[in-house]
Amino acid sequence: MELIPGMLLLGATTEKPSVGYGTLAVLVLFILGSVWIGMLANKAMQSTSFTKGFFLGNRGLGAWALALTATVQSGGTFMGFPSLVYTHGWAVALWICGYMVVPLTGFGVLGKRLARLSRQTGAITVPDLFRARFNSPALGLVSSLFIMFYMSFMMVAQFKAGALVMKLAWPGSGMLALTEDATGSLGPAYYIGLAIFTVTVVGYTLLGGFLAAVWTDIFQSVMMLIGVVLLLFLALNQAGGMEQATRTAAENTSADYVFGPGYDDPQVSPADPKDPGKRLAFDASRPRQFMPLGLVFSYFFVWVFAGLGSPAGMVRVMAGKSTEVIRKSIYLLSVYNLFIYLPLIVICICGRALIPELADKPDEIIPRIALLTTKDLTGGSLLAGLILAAPFGAVMATVSSYLVVIASGLVRDVYQRFVNPQAGTHELRRLSYIAMIAVAAIAVGANINPPRFLQAVVVFSGTGAASTFCVPALMLAFWRRATERGMIAGMLAGACTVLVLYAMGISGWGGEQRIGQFTGFRPYFLLQLEPLLWGLAASLIAGVTVSLCTTPPDEQLVSKLFDAERPLAAEPA
Amino acid sequence: MQQPAPDPVLKSARREALCVLGIWLAALSYTVPYCYTHGYGRTLADLKFVWGFPDWIFWGIVVPWCTCVAISIWFGATFMRDEDLGEELPEQDDELGLGGG
Repeated sequence: MELIPGMLLLGATTEKPSVGYGTLAVLVLFILGSVWIGMLANKAMQSTSFTKGFFLGNRGLGAWALALTATVQSGGTFMGFPSLVYTHGWAVALWICGYMVVPLTGFGVLGKRLARLSRQTGAITVPDLFRARFNSPALGLVSSLFIMFYMSFMMVAQFKAGALVMKLAWPGSGMLALTEDATGSLGPAYYIGLAIFTVTVVGYTLLGGFLAAVWTDIFQSVMMLIGVVLLLFLALNQAGGMEQATRTAAENTSADYVFGPGYDDPQVSPADPKDPGKRLAFDASRPRQFMPLGLVFSYFFVWVFAGLGSPAGMVRVMAGKSTEVIRKSIYLLSVYNLFIYLPLIVICICGRALIPELADKPDEIIPRIALLTTKDLTGGSLLAGLILAAPFGAVMATVSSYLVVIASGLVRDVYQRFVNPQAGTHELRRLSYIAMIAVAAIAVGANINPPRFLQAVVVFSGTGAASTFCVPALMLAFWRRATERGMIAGMLAGACTVLVLYAMGISGWGGEQRIGQFTGFRPYFLLQLEPLLWGLAASLIAGVTVSLCTTPPDEQLVSKLFDAERPLAAEPA
Repeated sequence: MQQPAPDPVLKSARREALCVLGIWLAALSYTVPYCYTHGYGRTLADLKFVWGFPDWIFWGIVVPWCTCVAISIWFGATFMRDEDLGEELPEQDDELGLGGG
């Protein structure tokens, strides 16, 4: 039988984690708090125009709201990302470190310009902005369809994460991994969790629309910070400090756990059904490189451009109250991210030292370590609930904001633009509610047999949207010569490049490359680079070439959006 | 012929975007080569810890990350200019005829 590092330690912590009623009680309070905020948002929205209030919060976001809600934290942040750290070790810091500049790039590049253009054109949604800037309904429709496509992927993955947190908080329900090869039935607790999660998040988003999504985001972001900081102290204390945790984790695995390109954990690969001692897709003579140089380089682009090209992020910037709000958001978010991502890495390294037997279900690490470190504390059950509220909050925040964007795409960008431009407020309101309920119903349907690729889907959704929208958004904001056809070409080229590379990877074209995350939902890494880089390059080439080859845009229209209202005084002779 | 001046928001946004691009490139140019040369192909025998972090993580990621936070504070507090974003175009009064309302 092949010796697998870490197997010797199996059974070291065989006691099943138990969840007390206090944990469930804290999560229920958290849910009630979110619904109450949704009701407040509903009251605040009633005095404004329905579409502007429901889809854009009447452009009233302050600095804290913008900073804490335009983030890309999701279920992946607290489940997928920790599982990668637990599995591959310190090298995953290279995977996430692009976040050091994300607040700057996310707000500092496009923020001010998008906020200005959206006011000049009266745009409420991102497709509104594309349409108005080029006076092109076709461009608005194309961008709207792409946004709904990528966000639907992300939404389906988030519903699973939300249901699982509820399931974990249910006393006696046991744990369930999100990992791809996890087996076993989901059980009634999962479906109850799915139902509670769906009713809560759809309920408060229906009540308050964009404002409810934003206000609950703030509440949930604060809970995330409290949860992470609490868990950091508890985990470090239990593991004997960071250095000791790293040494123990390396002893449980190998030296690769501390260095690049990362540890290749055999137990991440599925077991061979014919010989349970063997792991399929694991080759000790040729270990998987989680972060080869090409991917280290790529991931400095991935999170930066995923933030820059995120439609949910763009719409929040459009909702910012002023430039003062945008610039304050930069430093608020910078500090916030520092206290989320670096601590999460440290917590998971401690997790590998404290709970070495999770190698085949690493997605459990955050809830498991929360339960382990609080079990002997007075009120530990309540504390565990407080910590579990962090991933639950991240998931709810993502789903609520995406529900608003998808509903606005269907109602504002498709129905109101193409089906019934004369639709009244009452009709738009009713259709928005129906759209949200329908989208949520589809996501629930897709989660009856949930998808297995949470983190991979998060990366696909983010990089796909970035490849499609980054270059067009930059062209829209800064390039006078950009044309409608150039924009459509840029979007299509970026999207098609990423989709083709994912289709190649999923179909197994060229064999397993043995780099990056082990997942069935993987792209083909051309020259070891993330598809995003190829998508951005294709989008740039197509967008610029087609713009230059087509008729220049109407100069009068461009001048209104690019020039000062008064011409310069003539230079003295 | 009088040359129209660029929109002041566009002018400052362009200047700030170029500055951000420079900061991003600087962070990338330091972090990726440093971590690749100091964090790959090593053994536990020569591993040192700085404030509990493996040395290459501390100097290659923690220090530049904290530096970027400091730069972000400087950028947001002093470098980025406040501008008037203009009046909101009434939803039903699309004076530009751009379809935004």
